[in-house]
Amino acid sequence: MKRWALLATVLSLVALATVPTPARAQAKDTLTVALVSHAPTLDPHMHFERVGILVNINMFDSLIHRNTKLEFEPSLATSWKPLSDTQWEFKLRKGVRFHNGETMSGEDVKYSFDRVLDQTKKSPQYGNIRAIKDVRVVNPETVHIFTDKPFPLLLERLVFFPIVPKKHVETVGDQAFGTTSPVGTGPWKFVEWKRDQFIRLEAFDQHWRGRPAFKHLVIRAIPEIATQVAEIKTGGVDIIRNVSADLVPELKTHPQAYISSTPILRVHYVELDMRSAPFDKKAVRQAANYAIDKQTIIQKLMAGLGRQAATTVQPMAFGFDPEVKPYAYDPKKAKELLAQAGYPNGVDITLHSAFIEFRPVFEALSQMLTEVGIRTNPRMWDPGPAWNKFLQTEGKATNGYYGSWGNYSVFDADAVLHPLYHTEPGGWIGKWYTRIEGLDRLIDEARSTVDQPRRKRTYSQIQQMIREEAPAIFLWTQFDTLAISKKVQYAARGDEWLWLFDAKPAAR
Amino acid sequence: MLTLLARRVVRLVVVLAGVSLVTFAILHVSGDPVSLMMPEAPEADRAALRQAMGFNDPLALQFGRFVRNIARGDFGQSFFHREPALPLVLHRMPTTLLLAVLAMGLSLGVAVPVGILSAVRRNSLFDHGATFAVFLGTSMPVFWTGIMLILLLAVQLRVLPVSGWESWAALVLPTLTLATFSTPLLLRIVRSSMLDVINLDYVRTARAKGVSEWFVICRHALINAALPLVTVAGLQFGLLLGGAVITETVFAVPGVGRLIVGAIRQLDFPIVQAGVFLLALIVVLVNFAVDMLYIYLNPQIRVR
Amino acid sequence: MAIGTLAPPLDAAAGAERSAERSRAWRKLVRNPAALAGAFVLLVVIAAAGFAPYVAPQDPTRQSLIRRFTPPIWAEGGTAAYPLGTDQVGRDILSRIIHGARVSLIVGVSAVVVSLLVGVTLGLLSGFLHGRVDTAIMTVVDVTLSFPQLLLALAFVAALGPSLLTIIVVLGLTGWERYTRVVRAEVLALREKDFIEAARAMGASPARLVLRHVLPNTFSSIIVMSTLQVAQAILQEAALSFLGVGTGSAYPTWGNMIALGRDFVSVAWWLPTFPGLAILLTVLAINLVGDRLRDALDPRIG
Repeated sequence: MKRWALLATVLSLVALATVPTPARAQAKDTLTVALVSHAPTLDPHMHFERVGILVNINMFDSLIHRNTKLEFEPSLATSWKPLSDTQWEFKLRKGVRFHNGETMSGEDVKYSFDRVLDQTKKSPQYGNIRAIKDVRVVNPETVHIFTDKPFPLLLERLVFFPIVPKKHVETVGDQAFGTTSPVGTGPWKFVEWKRDQFIRLEAFDQHWRGRPAFKHLVIRAIPEIATQVAEIKTGGVDIIRNVSADLVPELKTHPQAYISSTPILRVHYVELDMRSAPFDKKAVRQAANYAIDKQTIIQKLMAGLGRQAATTVQPMAFGFDPEVKPYAYDPKKAKELLAQAGYPNGVDITLHSAFIEFRPVFEALSQMLTEVGIRTNPRMWDPGPAWNKFLQTEGKATNGYYGSWGNYSVFDADAVLHPLYHTEPGGWIGKWYTRIEGLDRLIDEARSTVDQPRRKRTYSQIQQMIREEAPAIFLWTQFDTLAISKKVQYAARGDEWLWLFDAKPAAR
Repeated sequence: MLTLLARRVVRLVVVLAGVSLVTFAILHVSGDPVSLMMPEAPEADRAALRQAMGFNDPLALQFGRFVRNIARGDFGQSFFHREPALPLVLHRMPTTLLLAVLAMGLSLGVAVPVGILSAVRRNSLFDHGATFAVFLGTSMPVFWTGIMLILLLAVQLRVLPVSGWESWAALVLPTLTLATFSTPLLLRIVRSSMLDVINLDYVRTARAKGVSEWFVICRHALINAALPLVTVAGLQFGLLLGGAVITETVFAVPGVGRLIVGAIRQLDFPIVQAGVFLLALIVVLVNFAVDMLYIYLNPQIRVR
Repeated sequence: MAIGTLAPPLDAAAGAERSAERSRAWRKLVRNPAALAGAFVLLVVIAAAGFAPYVAPQDPTRQSLIRRFTPPIWAEGGTAAYPLGTDQVGRDILSRIIHGARVSLIVGVSAVVVSLLVGVTLGLLSGFLHGRVDTAIMTVVDVTLSFPQLLLALAFVAALGPSLLTIIVVLGLTGWERYTRVVRAEVLALREKDFIEAARAMGASPARLVLRHVLPNTFSSIIVMSTLQVAQAILQEAALSFLGVGTGSAYPTWGNMIALGRDFVSVAWWLPTFPGLAILLTVLAINLVGDRLRDALDPRIG
């Protein structure tokens, strides 16, 4: 008998040791946001995941900020001007404090750039600012940034380039900086991070913009969508993102929540393999474009939250040419083109997608292709090892894949054209697929000058070329849809950011 | 007795070695983690990283390295978290164990009384009803049970929180979900063990002597049921750990299962290896404990 | 001729005993209403699976964007063309459930066949060859049992890429140990009775031993275990679909219908609920029948 008692006592003690701590009551001054996961680190330079970026922007500032109209606004830099094609001057804001009390200066700016450009640190963001050759501190309030070639995307890239405190990071080390003591200049400061559960932040009283409306910010990691939706309905969470279009009608009229949706850069496309049949023939690629009834899909499957796209260059990006028109829905023409290309009885293809949230869309467009004679076998892959194999065999297992591209919130045509179509190594997948004569040269031309009107003309040329050659089935740009508790006032942004400084308790 | 112990320990080590080998094999066959770590980097950079991480060495060499490291407690650095893998896994292990233990506890807490009653009132409405109700739980996919419970108890009736692991109340739904999984089998065992003893002579004699019927029944039944119950509960524990993977995802519980599932998707070798190794270790230890308990409870084996 | 004089009498006696046992079991089974109900459900499911193309009212893969999220016939907005409603791309749920029966059963039964082949063979090898081979095989059993089964399946499917074949192989390879143990135990029991020595001395081949003695004695246990494993395999396929490593194709399985429909449960409850019911009824039926089968074949229970 005694043995059982002992066992029971031991087990109870073990259980108590692992007991979860009771949560603080859901106070009125706490804003709770749900993401599907946390980034592996809070160090803003050492990851490149959207969920990480969303947390970082609330803890760290960059040199430039975007307002709700998506225009550039001074942030840690109060003004900037180009001194030459390859040199920019930034004047820094005075009296900005880090969360630990230290004052921000040019040294911190230089340090931040250096640590990403330092290849031994292996920052995943290196590729984005590779063009920056050097950062020089002219005086504590002025820095000069040198690029090796004219870099038209410089300002864009500086919108998400958080500035970190040099002394603090050097003292605690990179590891601790990313896990237990991240310090920035942003509206909220770090309190605690329980892995896979939540990140707790507290308002920073000395933030240079003033205090945010909510005293506490909790960012929870909830991987399951159904659970997130249940949480927003019961008030357990105040904001969830990536709400499926099908849930919009219900949440729009829900007593506890409302929907906020806005167009974003993210563009959808089906990249076609031009190296092999049947998509080596332009006529077939164009036929595929004519076969899709984009409007119906947008209305029926996306609750109208999408805009047809003529090419992969988004309307919100610099360089977009509205004169280039999207392919119309014309199944008859599609069949004609198919027959012209030598497939009067149709052809069989396989398409690939890892885009789980848009699976119904993928299946619908596969059906539309089948109806004009391009008999499609749609395959859904779980992102992960199988997808990885696909990458390694250079996508030869399939005729095309359904992808999306968000430009990493850079509102410039180069940010989608270069990664998707330029044939130099590095960049995103699908690079193997596209072979358009002369496209590389044009892309290089457009990115090696800062003369914006000239760039615009080149981008018009590129868009016409791409539309004609149809290396992809061009689809649409999507919206970012948030579900927000009625107790909170906030609006979705066109750059997919959760800039929670703007969130306020709703007026009673 | 000591040789028995020694033999079991040897078996433990061998099984763990086998487990590591299988994990190692699966992961290395499945793809190139470097491409997932640096999808946008030029191939030259990736090839360099592969070389640096030793992926180009022959597999036997890599495995040997792996075994030597775990003997030192070093499972390597997680590719994505950039921290040692073992502490990351250990940090979450108590959560998963707590969930599994609570679920097992709930299962036993339901299975024993209901099983006894079912046997005593054999073929009655209660018996059939209990069998049916309990089998219901085991006939639905675990994630579906979880989602249904969320919808019913959290969203509709608002009596419990939807997800998380931050309060005692939040423990209820995940435990309940997982327990529906293991209760049926345990109930059957209690019931059939009861049926075995209920008509035995010594039970009848005791009844004739006027000893309280319940006392007799429970005591003898439990003793008889203890052996198979303990064995099966041990086996079930392994299944529960597997079911915890699903439950943790549905209820956003910060446990090992969720971590490993994410790591499998990202081909984060060190975490998968550390996690699976530790889970297997626990299962083996639990079975070991069960074996020892079995021997203790069953005098016949001890004598042999 | 070499079969010898020893085998036939034992065969006959054992055979007679076994058939008496079986008819007793059958009678026990038939008398139980729950088991009968379960058996009926299973027959319906098997028939649906077998005659799917003839029974299903629509093509399970035909989409109709205008008709998406049509509710079941008895709800407002439902139509007779889609008795159980339509899914997120307008496919008929009833037809998908009928065709899904096919895939779910194929997955379940094939996985069990794989398990049986592997498990029984290893059990026989283990028992007959004993010594090192036995130890090796039992160690492999221990190793397999120590793995959290779902994680093993997930890792394999993730590694090999989702497809029907992969799922079947993976589920088969994570369930064979139980058969090995039973078969091995039977062989060891026969060995203990010196049966094997004697039979070999008579010149009986191992194959005959297996077919005439080992397998028949383990038959009842194996039957019960296989039926329960089919149920388990159906549930595991659903779990794998939930984790995103299901069959990957547009062809319906009950598991992936629930997994994909779960996100819409608040706007279109019929999407995951009906396949959920299908799994529930089928697995429940299998469990009930299998359970009573076990009772019936177990001579201990009065």
